[in-house]
Amino acid sequence: MCKILVVDDEEEVRAAVARRLTRDGLKVDTATCQEEAVEKLKAANPTYDVVMTDMVMETPDAGVNVLKAAAEEDIFTEVIVLTAYGNVANAVECMKRGAFDYVEKNIPGVDVYDLMSIKVAQALDRRRSSMNTVRRIVRAQK
Amino acid sequence: MPELSLINEVTALAASTADLSELLQALLERGVRVVNGKRGFVALVDFDQGRLVIQCGTGEGWTDDKKEQRLLLHTGEGKGITTYVAATGKLYRTGDVDQDPYYIPYFPDVRSEIAVPILDAHGRTRGVINVDSPQRDAFDEQDEACLRAIANIASVGIAISEHRSRERAFVEIGTELAASPDIASLVAKVIKVTAEVLRFEDCSLFLLDADRQTLTLQASRGRLNDRAGTATYKLGEGLTGWIAEHGLPIRTTNPQSDPRWRGLHQEYPAEEMGAYLGVPIEGRRGVIGVLRVLRRRSKFPWFRNEFTGDDEGVLISIASQVGAAVESLRLTDRVVNAERMAAWGEMSARSAHMIGNRVFAIKGDLNELEHWLGQPEDRREQFKELAESIRKGVFRLEEILTEFRDFVMATSLSLTEWDINEIVRQSVDESFPKRCPVRLEMSLTSDLPKIAADPTKLKRSFSELIENAISFQQDGGLLRITTCPALRKEARTLCGLSGKQDYVKIEFADAGPGVPQENKDKIFTPFFSSRAKGMGLGLSIVKGIVEAHHGGICEVGEENSGARFVILLPTVG
Repeated sequence: MCKILVVDDEEEVRAAVARRLTRDGLKVDTATCQEEAVEKLKAANPTYDVVMTDMVMETPDAGVNVLKAAAEEDIFTEVIVLTAYGNVANAVECMKRGAFDYVEKNIPGVDVYDLMSIKVAQALDRRRSSMNTVRRIVRAQK
Repeated sequence: MPELSLINEVTALAASTADLSELLQALLERGVRVVNGKRGFVALVDFDQGRLVIQCGTGEGWTDDKKEQRLLLHTGEGKGITTYVAATGKLYRTGDVDQDPYYIPYFPDVRSEIAVPILDAHGRTRGVINVDSPQRDAFDEQDEACLRAIANIASVGIAISEHRSRERAFVEIGTELAASPDIASLVAKVIKVTAEVLRFEDCSLFLLDADRQTLTLQASRGRLNDRAGTATYKLGEGLTGWIAEHGLPIRTTNPQSDPRWRGLHQEYPAEEMGAYLGVPIEGRRGVIGVLRVLRRRSKFPWFRNEFTGDDEGVLISIASQVGAAVESLRLTDRVVNAERMAAWGEMSARSAHMIGNRVFAIKGDLNELEHWLGQPEDRREQFKELAESIRKGVFRLEEILTEFRDFVMATSLSLTEWDINEIVRQSVDESFPKRCPVRLEMSLTSDLPKIAADPTKLKRSFSELIENAISFQQDGGLLRITTCPALRKEARTLCGLSGKQDYVKIEFADAGPGVPQENKDKIFTPFFSSRAKGMGLGLSIVKGIVEAHHGGICEVGEENSGARFVILLPTVG
C-alpha cells in the first residue's frame, strides 16, 4: 500500500484530504506543521511515496522546507504543493525546487478533490517509473 | 465739592464691581440720589432683538411686573422719552410731563423726568438712564452733568463687560477646541460659545468639501439649525461663497442690496435681515470654510445694530482658531485611516485564506457525499455525519463573515445620549447566560454623566468581553463589572487620552488565567487570538468601537490573577 503524508495547519483541510485519499486506497498520515512533518519524514521507514503539503503555514516558506526535508530522506518522494487560489508564484517556486505539481485549493467550479486524486496517482506513477529506472541502471551496472 | 465726591464714588464702583448688572444698579441708585429723583431705571439696547430692555430699576413702585409693563412700552410704537433718547442719542429733560409730547404716563405722581443716553465709543446708543421726580422743574443743568458722568461710567462698564466676555469666549473656545474629539463636536462648541458668550445669536459655520467647490453648513444657531449637512453654497455663490472664494470678510448693514447677495439660505426672511458679518476660516493651504453671524433688522428705523470692526476682529480670531483645530483633527483622521487601511490589506489576505480553507473543506464533504450516493449500499449514518460537517463549515463561514462585518463597521457609529449603566445592563442581559459556572458581580455607580454612544456597537464590545471572561473560566470563576467616573489622571496614564475631558470608566475583571505580560500589547491587534472561534478579530473590534467613541481601552490585570479590562468613554458636555 502506498504511503502519503498530508501537511496542513487547518484541521478540517487535513481531515477532508485524508478522507479522500484513504478512499483512493492510500495509507494516509497527517502533520499539522513544518516541524511535525520533518519529524515524520525522518522517522518513516520505508519513506513516504508522496507528500502533499500546504504552502503557507506558520511561515510563508514552510512548504518549501517540507519539500527540502522530503528530498533529503528520499530523492524520489514526490511532493504536491497545496496553494491558495491565485497564489501561483509560490507554487512555481516549489516546482523549480523539484515539486511534482501543485493544486490550488479553491478553483471556482472545479471539484478539486478529483483533480487531487488524479495528481496523486500521476505522482505515484512517476515515482514507480523513477524507481524502476534506477533499479534497471543498478542491475545493468552489476 | 459734590461733583468730585460723585466722581470718586462712581469710579470706585466701576473699579470694584465685576458684574455689569450690579454696577448698573449701583450707578442708578447713586444717580437717583444725587439728582434728588424719586425713581429711575436703566434700559439697555438688545442688538439681537432690536429693542430696549429694562435692565434695572430703583425707587418706590419698581416691581418685576412694572418692569415688564415698562418694557412693553418700549417695544411698541417707538414713542416715549426713553425711546426718543435712544433713537437720537441726545439727553432729554422735561419739567412738566403733562405738557410733554413724548411722555407716556406710567407712574401717576411723575411731574419731571430726565433721560440720558449711554453711548459707546462708536457713538451708538447702548442704553438709557431715566430718572423721574414728583416735583415740577425738578432737574437742572447740574443734574444733567451728573447723570451724563454716570452714563459715561456705565458705558465704560459695558465695554469692560464685553471685553471680559470676549476674553472668556477665547479661553473657552481655545479649551474646547483642544478637547474636541471630532469636527462635529468642535463646530457645535464654537457655535455655542459664539452665540452664548459673544451674543452673536444667529451664527452659522460652513466648511468647504474635499473637492473645494462646495460649502456645506456644519452647524447653525437659529433657523438654519435643522439644515446642517444639506444647506450648501457653490464656491463664489452669494456673500458666503464670495468670502470662501476670495478669503476676505464681508461686513454690511444691508446684505440684500449687495450685488453678490443670492438669499439662498437665510436665518430670517430677506426683509428682516439686518446686519451681516462673515469671515473666512483659513487653513494652511487657503480657505477651508466660512463663519458668519447675522442680526435681524429692528422694527425701529433709528436702531443701529450693525456689526463693528471689533466684532469683525473677534470673529476673525475665532475663525483662525477653528481653522487650526479643524486641520489638526483632519490630519489625525488621516493617520487613523491610514492605519485602518493597512489593517485592511492584512484583513483581506487573512479572510481570503480562512474562507478558502472552509470552502475547501465543504467541497470535500460534497465530493464524499456524491461518491457515496453513487454506491448501492445504505450509507445513511455517513450522510448524517457529512451533513453535520457541512453545517459546521457553513456556520464557521458565517462567523468569519460576522467578524469581518463587525470589524469593518466598528467605526461607523450612530450616536445618541445614553446612561452607560443602561448599556452595561442590556449587554449582561443579552450575553451573560442564565446558567453559568461564572459568578457575576455588578457595581454600577448611579447618576453618572451621560455619554454619546452607539448602544448596539457598545453592547457588541461589552458582550465580547463578557464572553471572553466566561470562555476562559469554563470551570467556574468570577466576572466583576464596575462603572464609575474616571480620574483625569487615568485618561492620560492608562489610555493616553486628553486630560481635558471627563470620562466614565467601565471595568470587566475576571478570575481567569489573565493576560501574560508579553501579550498585553498584542491582544488588541487583529488576528491575535487564543480562542478557536472566528478570525481572531474579537478584541480588535472592541478596541475599534471604543476608539470610534473617542475613548480608550487597556488591560491592566496581572497574569494568574485574572484579566482586567478598563474602558474609558468621554462624557457629554
